[in-house]
Amino acid sequence: MSENTNIAVIGGGPGGYAAAFLAADLGMTVTLIDPELNPGGVCLYRGCIPSKALLHVAKLLEESHQAKDWGIEYAAPKIDLARLRSWKEGVVNKLTGGLGILSKQRKVSYVRGRAAFENSATLRVSKSDGSEESLSFDRIVIATGSRPAIIPTLKLDTPRMMDSTGALNLEDIPGSLLVVGGGYIGLELGSVYAALGTRVTVVEMLSGLLPGADRDLVLPLHKRLEKMFDRILLNTTVTSVKDEGNGIRARFEGADVKEPEKMFDRVLVSVGRKPNSEIPGLHKTRVQVGQRGFIQVNKQLQTDDPAIYAIGDVVGEPMLAHKASHEGRVAVEAIAGHKVAFEPNAIPAVVFTDPEVAWCGLTETQAQKENREIKVAKFPWAASGRAVTLDRPDGMTKLLIDPQTERVLGVGIVGAGAGELIAEGVLAVEMAALARDVAMTIHPHPTLSETVMESAEVFYGTSTHIYRPKRG
Amino acid sequence: MIEFKLPELGENIEQGDLVRLMVAPGASVSTGQSVMELETDKAVVEVPSSVSGTVQEIRVKEGDKIKVGQVIFTVDGAEAKGSSKAPASAAAPAQVQEKPAQQKPTEGASAPAPTAAPSPATAPQTATPPAVSSASGAGEFKLPELGENISQGDLVRLMVFPGAKVSEGQPVMELETDKAVVEVPSSIAGVVKEVKVKEGEKIKVGQVIFTLEGGPATPAETTSVRNAPVEHVSGQHGARLAFQAAIRAEGKTEEQALPPDQPQRPGAPEFSMPAQLGKVAGTEHRQPIPASPHVRRLAREVGVDIYEVKGSGPGGRISEDDVKAYAKGLLSAAASAVQTPRAGHFAQPQLPDFGKWGKIERVSMRGVRRKTAEHLAESWNTIPHVTQHDRADITELEQLRARFAPKAEEAGGKMTVTAIALKVCAAALKVFPQFNASIDIEKEEIVYKQYISIGVAADTDRGLLVPVIRDVEKKNIVELAVELSQLSKKARDKKLTPADMEGGTFTITNLGGIGGVGFTPIVNFPEVAILGLSRSRMEPEWINGKFEPRLILPLSLSYDHRLIDGADAARFLRWVAEAFEQPFLLSVQG
Repeated sequence: MSENTNIAVIGGGPGGYAAAFLAADLGMTVTLIDPELNPGGVCLYRGCIPSKALLHVAKLLEESHQAKDWGIEYAAPKIDLARLRSWKEGVVNKLTGGLGILSKQRKVSYVRGRAAFENSATLRVSKSDGSEESLSFDRIVIATGSRPAIIPTLKLDTPRMMDSTGALNLEDIPGSLLVVGGGYIGLELGSVYAALGTRVTVVEMLSGLLPGADRDLVLPLHKRLEKMFDRILLNTTVTSVKDEGNGIRARFEGADVKEPEKMFDRVLVSVGRKPNSEIPGLHKTRVQVGQRGFIQVNKQLQTDDPAIYAIGDVVGEPMLAHKASHEGRVAVEAIAGHKVAFEPNAIPAVVFTDPEVAWCGLTETQAQKENREIKVAKFPWAASGRAVTLDRPDGMTKLLIDPQTERVLGVGIVGAGAGELIAEGVLAVEMAALARDVAMTIHPHPTLSETVMESAEVFYGTSTHIYRPKRG
Repeated sequence: MIEFKLPELGENIEQGDLVRLMVAPGASVSTGQSVMELETDKAVVEVPSSVSGTVQEIRVKEGDKIKVGQVIFTVDGAEAKGSSKAPASAAAPAQVQEKPAQQKPTEGASAPAPTAAPSPATAPQTATPPAVSSASGAGEFKLPELGENISQGDLVRLMVFPGAKVSEGQPVMELETDKAVVEVPSSIAGVVKEVKVKEGEKIKVGQVIFTLEGGPATPAETTSVRNAPVEHVSGQHGARLAFQAAIRAEGKTEEQALPPDQPQRPGAPEFSMPAQLGKVAGTEHRQPIPASPHVRRLAREVGVDIYEVKGSGPGGRISEDDVKAYAKGLLSAAASAVQTPRAGHFAQPQLPDFGKWGKIERVSMRGVRRKTAEHLAESWNTIPHVTQHDRADITELEQLRARFAPKAEEAGGKMTVTAIALKVCAAALKVFPQFNASIDIEKEEIVYKQYISIGVAADTDRGLLVPVIRDVEKKNIVELAVELSQLSKKARDKKLTPADMEGGTFTITNLGGIGGVGFTPIVNFPEVAILGLSRSRMEPEWINGKFEPRLILPLSLSYDHRLIDGADAARFLRWVAEAFEQPFLLSVQG
């Protein structure tokens, strides 16, 4: 494609706007289509960003309780919900407004509306002002993202039933909250409400929280959440919900269920997300939608229709903003004619609970499934000076290492600030660092990042802060 | 309403001038039908339609410059080919939202044939085929056995594309094996749903080439396809169809751009297994390579498969230098390959711009023609050729031939001069074994073959093919005549397998049917001699003090002078000539 490629991006989330901005930087004519006032998508408006703002507050509240142990006692906090909401909204507006400006500076034509396909090269845009327009493009990038999945049996037309969007609106602080689904969204939002004073019950169908994550990473979180939440019910399903006016009656089913039904002020359904691949007119193109509704793409993010690319949640798991942004950039580079492919060695995943759980690259679960021989080197945070000063020794850092080459294949961290620490792990995996490289890199003292270095030292049996008797 | 857009025409072709438009509003078009002639930088090509239906509006006119992707015309009603998903998903979006898992089955069950018409009249008709189609829906065409020891080949040319109709016996691709380029005929009939291979790929016996859409387009069309004689797709027309198909197919693969990274796309008729669900979209399952992102991208940019590069760093880590060194290695290997005089690949002086002096057309030289070019150039470059000419008086033989012709005919063969020449040469090769040999220069040895298998050059639509008749010395002339007839038919019907064309020890080429008084055939390497026959004619011969009209057959023997001396060649050819003159010799000496 030449420089004056005319490209459209449908969807202004982190994947879509990253794609649009890069396309503009590469000299293309760019149209970004999204119903919101500014770019940002679910991540900024109804996802990562507002939830992190609230989790920051939750953390402060939790620490204020813990401060008693350190000799500082606070009175019970007064929570001004309206103020909290407007602060959260201020964060969102500041960031999305910034994206709007970045968009203008790049001369991206931002069209507020929804797009439908007329054919592989033409979109019919229904604009927010009520007008309609057909626009033609050389290439189209679909970045329509995903939405909360719905369980039909748990559908009630009452504000007491919430999905993640509703929960983030923070209309009140309910006395009790049922969280259906023990994945990262349920645990993060459940933590927010618990910190604000709500009695939270989490129900997970499978045998553990955060299905898919290594169990040793989940354990410290589970322990802490058990204290923070009213109850965590595993191997349990919610079979029905009933609006009884003054609350919602939920029925449970499962081996460990002692109370088969219970009343809740509110219910949050967080059972995953579904790709937004039902784009009007998509059948007029050659785009193929696979099972579970994901649009099929190749490594260049190109769909079965050569003029159409797709990125982000709508093309597959993991549905993460940073994966979408990277894909968006790869797709645009591919359109620009560069020989590129989406081929990361590590996509980090972070759960922003307290403690945070983060991992990247190979997991132990996956290695077991593949019957792959690996060595795991773990460093418990009780041996970290920094963790102890924070009164947070409930963490652990581990490296998954190839025994032949000593290459770092995966990193897992649980503990306060794990989300920030994992970045070093991602870099190590992407750069094909050996455990020795990590061990020989000087890390600043006293920080939690030392746990990464020391876990590499554990691999060689020479960790400074862990004594391991010589074998034999 | 469906739009027909200019498909990809090939590498680096982005546009063309519309020379001729072959459709008009109101006309009905069907998939594969030529709808326009386009002049590109490279050739004038006929562009086949990928849609069926009645043309509504034409959006271009002759003389226009048309870009790939530009809408040419719109058709009414009928569905675009290959997009059997369209009607299904059009009908289903509501269901899709709720139950995506059901989408595939829905598609499979209701996928109408491409020409399934929208008109209510034909609806009942199209309603029945699905029952048939689900039975034959899993129709797959796999690469059949091609011959002994041939387990794979390079796909040179693909002649089908999704939506194309194939009939049994119709050539669907050209495959280059170690031994020959062969056209592979389809063993199934129907409408191609998905093509699972692409040009340039190595294909193994048993590998799925394409899958069929649910059954025949319409019952009526099936029968017409069945009834269509195979000859229908031979000759110029067939070549043209194949050419169009090839262009179309090439465009398709280009468009797809899935290569070189084509992910395993779920097979059309099968359902993809839930096992795949957890996979990150677009990534294939290869263990992460020990190279930094920047190095991986560099490899991609220079066209190196990073998995081929050996890392010099700790733990096998691949550095930028490793990639560069590997790429350099590839380049110099390629360069040295170019320098060695490889057959058919001589550096030839640059061609002038022929277009300066008039219109030209460029046509792909892939397939049999390229193979022939390579092979003959190799022969010519390897073998010091000499051609010995002689004449045989076949007056008596001709009478014998005429007498025994009915006998051969009874057996299903044709008593031709070539058939007789086979017998004559087999006898001569027994007497002169160095003509039935090969030279092994590397080992400095001569390979004498204890069997006599003679190739007979056949002129076919596709070019020169040389089927081989085995153990000629053990067969009588009638048997040879029958076998020769069978092989010629096979050659014409494009049914020759590589096995039919290998293992020859000597070759006969007969141009007598066309004319000429002599020529210098090129030895079919690694054989060492070839006998050419020209047209026999009545000539005055000085016999017993007077001229007599005799039927004279001109003989031309080219031979490898490295192994065969001129005197031996003269003796061999004289022996052959005398054998023709006195068929009795055969029974005595042969």
